[in-house]
Amino acid sequence: MKGLRPLRPPRVAQLDDRGLATLETTLAIVVLVPILFSILEFGAALERWLGQDAVAVQAARYAGEVGGDRPEVRALIGDQLRLSGIDPARVSVSIVPPTVGWREPVQVSLVSDYPIAIPFLFSTTLPLRSSAISRGEVNR
Amino acid sequence: MKLLHDDAGSVALTTIALLPLFLVVLAGVLQLGALRVSAARVRAAADLAALVAVNDQDDAELARTGTLRLAADAADVARDFFARNLDLSPSLLASSATDVARAADVAAFATAPSVDPRTGARYDRPAVRIAASVPLRTPVLGALVFQPVTTVSVLAVSSPR
Repeated sequence: MKGLRPLRPPRVAQLDDRGLATLETTLAIVVLVPILFSILEFGAALERWLGQDAVAVQAARYAGEVGGDRPEVRALIGDQLRLSGIDPARVSVSIVPPTVGWREPVQVSLVSDYPIAIPFLFSTTLPLRSSAISRGEVNR
Repeated sequence: MKLLHDDAGSVALTTIALLPLFLVVLAGVLQLGALRVSAARVRAAADLAALVAVNDQDDAELARTGTLRLAADAADVARDFFARNLDLSPSLLASSATDVARAADVAAFATAPSVDPRTGARYDRPAVRIAASVPLRTPVLGALVFQPVTTVSVLAVSSPR
């Protein structure tokens, strides 16, 4: 065995950890940022959904009170959506039937798309649907 | 010994090791948020149903005496519209809207004052009260804590003005 040199670990590769912290931080960010953004984005979407639901309920009540799809109902929906931080132009409104009689059900539906962008993962739109049914209070 | 003291890559390993925990937290947060939306919808359905039932007054009594009095079918109307509004979100419910509405405790207090035997509340005007337990789907909670169905209790009372 004389003359053989023992194997030594590659010291250069072991000791040179320059850039390792950056690499690890990048890996951590790639993992953690999508999770953080998912919580924020979906939380905002749920909040918007809650707001839109509340507007649908109010609009259904009012539609029953005034007798269906009237301009004042549309105005109320627009105002309430704006107060909830939602652009009314991006929400499609459906009031069925357009003219509602006494004791007849009237349904107000609001549909909007909420864009969600998760860094490093995906971007998509989440359809938010809100509906409420009330009853006509106008005896024609 | 050197390997024991070499912490190169420890951050990456920690991140990867904690990733399942982060995903579980994320899923739990989203599920709780969705549950909050579902519970709000159920409450809104009960509120709207009670309101619709109360808004329909006994016209003959109103014309004759000038007093507000509930229609005779107020409780049925409340139950019907509770079911209709719940039925707008069938994917959130763990049972059918009709079954939930049928099991709901709906009471119409046509005369005032009256005392609600369920809650002990005193109503100074005619009132409709809906009390219901609504089972909601919570699949993520089912996977995490074996609770695939979360029951939300709602109480809605409405009186005419």
